[in-house]
Amino acid sequence: MSYLVESSQVVLRGKDKAAERVSVRKHIGRTVLLLGTTSLLTDISSEMVSTILPIYIVFALGATPLQFGIVDGIYQGATAFVRLLAGVASDRKGRHKPVASLGYAISAVCKLGMVLAGSSLAAIYAVVYADRVGKGIRTAPRDALISLTAHPKALGAAFGVHRAMDTAGAMIGPLLAFGLLTAAPRRYDTVWVVSFCFAVVGVAVITMLVKDARTAPADPPSRRAAMASAIGLLKVPAFRRLTLAAGGLGLATLSDGFLYLGLQDRMGFAPRYLPLLFVGTALVFMALAVPMGRLADRVGRGKVFVGGYLLLLGVYSSLLVPSISPAVLVFYLAAFGAFYAATDGVVMALAGSLLPEELRASGMGLVTAVVAAARLFGALAFGALWTLGGVDAAVVVFAAMLALAILVAAAVVVRREVAPVAA
Amino acid sequence: MLRSRAAVVVIVAALCAIGGAAYVVLAATSSSDPKPATLSGSKHKAARLAPVAAGPLPKSVLVRAVDPEKATLEGRIYRADPTGGGTPKVQKDPACLRFYQAGGSALCLTVARSGVDFRAKLLDRSGDVRHTLTLTGVPSRARVSPNGTLGAMTTFVTGDSYTSPGQFSTRTTILDMASGRTISDLEKFTVIRDGQKIHDQDFNFWGVTFARDSDELYATLATGSHHYLVHGRVSTRTLEVVRDGVECPSLSPDGTRIAYKSRDGKPWHWRLHVYDLRTRADVALAETRPIDDQAEWLDNARVLYGIGTDVWVVPADGAGKAQRFLADAASPSAQR
Repeated sequence: MSYLVESSQVVLRGKDKAAERVSVRKHIGRTVLLLGTTSLLTDISSEMVSTILPIYIVFALGATPLQFGIVDGIYQGATAFVRLLAGVASDRKGRHKPVASLGYAISAVCKLGMVLAGSSLAAIYAVVYADRVGKGIRTAPRDALISLTAHPKALGAAFGVHRAMDTAGAMIGPLLAFGLLTAAPRRYDTVWVVSFCFAVVGVAVITMLVKDARTAPADPPSRRAAMASAIGLLKVPAFRRLTLAAGGLGLATLSDGFLYLGLQDRMGFAPRYLPLLFVGTALVFMALAVPMGRLADRVGRGKVFVGGYLLLLGVYSSLLVPSISPAVLVFYLAAFGAFYAATDGVVMALAGSLLPEELRASGMGLVTAVVAAARLFGALAFGALWTLGGVDAAVVVFAAMLALAILVAAAVVVRREVAPVAA
Repeated sequence: MLRSRAAVVVIVAALCAIGGAAYVVLAATSSSDPKPATLSGSKHKAARLAPVAAGPLPKSVLVRAVDPEKATLEGRIYRADPTGGGTPKVQKDPACLRFYQAGGSALCLTVARSGVDFRAKLLDRSGDVRHTLTLTGVPSRARVSPNGTLGAMTTFVTGDSYTSPGQFSTRTTILDMASGRTISDLEKFTVIRDGQKIHDQDFNFWGVTFARDSDELYATLATGSHHYLVHGRVSTRTLEVVRDGVECPSLSPDGTRIAYKSRDGKPWHWRLHVYDLRTRADVALAETRPIDDQAEWLDNARVLYGIGTDVWVVPADGAGKAQRFLADAASPSAQR
């Protein structure tokens, strides 16, 4: 509990110190905007590739997208441990920027790797895996940096700004990739090269312009001890409850793709318009990320976080009705985008407010590792349930699991929530 | 200090912008399709097959070239000698991901010019494109009925299900090859099992094969953990479950047997089997390597299938052994 007291008294840094009634920029900090810029550029880069990758694999290599999907799903889950390791490594040195930069740099190099991999399926899988590892490495130290540089009262807003910029990149990337392939048909290499260019500028921004937030190197400095103190964070009751709640909610979260296919099936439009569902959701996420973050800062981050999952539960209900109208579809997309806005950054703001500075990245790595592992396990369980009992039964079980996880989260996160941090 | 660092970022950004733009301009101006390369060297060589007394051999076997190193060659259609031997000759120009020809019309599933979308091209006897359809999903299987009137194609409708292990969705449509119109989707057919109508949201169909009258068909219906062989008619829009454990059926020219792939316990491992529709006898074929293809009958005694980048042939009675039929090829269709 002593951690809680410490973190609510975080000393403000630099010029922001004097700010009482502050502009967004001062509240959020230059670092958050620069990290947002890096994420925007990196997301343009990575979404360009992931939009084109399935089609490239089928066209150039004759592999089935299904095989690729299974490998990729497992890769995503397999980065869970990397996430924890990266967080611990950056706390050990008390420096977050080098580890986050390394993660961005690995993913940038992977884009060139796509050019070199050519048509070797094994090489492409290796590059995709390295890219996921890069993503796993950078997440915890970068989120730690955001939480360490933003005003503690504005953590939700700071993460909101970052996620809004990140999502903007995720929307630009696919458009750019389609545009390139229209200009130069079948020259997939142009996609990899342009993607590499964006990633390089993203790495330049973080390495050259972002100021590291140094924390005291974790004591003791041995790797084993650092890992032990990361795991030891689970002894902090508030953090343990958050990790448990986030893991439970992650376990009951259905994949986006499945929800989109469900909506498409119930409305009966052509599957080629499926990407529009992604665009609609991302637009709402982008628009609401900052307002939701501010709301979280004002009324309590736990309330907004759990409320977000209530919205997700509402979205699940679309899978249990026989058909939906266009107006209802818009409602569901808005709810789904709002779910992301209320949870994706807010959970890190919540973790940030519970973790001591010197173990900030370790704790954030731990939460994301638990969530990544829970989501992979959930996806596998969903597949098994579907095979055993049919898709409707699987959805009902997952809706019930989510409802239960929400109740648990409400009990352990919201009820115990320390009074709103903001005045 | 900060100013000089900002200058570095601006310079990096400018270099990346110029370099990236130059690359795109070069690619865009040089990507007008060059002439297709020709088959040469040791690639695309056929092995000579032992003669078998099993009714008439097809006049020829069409295949699509598989050569990822030569993008201009990949997917082109070639005509090969059914006895094996010799170098196959260039047939037609379109680059196909899946190809099948029968009764004088052909179905070619291919990538759109932009490279971000898939198309079905319906070709006539002379190989000219009569109709082009936009596909929903990624091409998986293509078949044309023996008299060339009906086409069937299966696509993976993935959404982004490749991030969700264990979940996928397929779409199988029946086409009128002359008009280019979609006749129906197998998901709209009535399915009967043990005299009862069945339906489930998780129904997935794939791998159509047509009988000689070009109305009767077989296909795979996946639901729950079952992979049913279904048999029915396009004219009546009905399908009846024949048995379980059959994927990608292929009906023999004499209409008596089904060659299919059977799961052998390991994930993504299938083995070729032949099922006799009259005696219900089932044999595993001599090919023991895992396969993922819809078999094609060379004659009434042998089936063709793809493994890796080659087409192989194996006796349909479980005896003998697998033999390479044609190197660097896929999607065989026997021209009877």
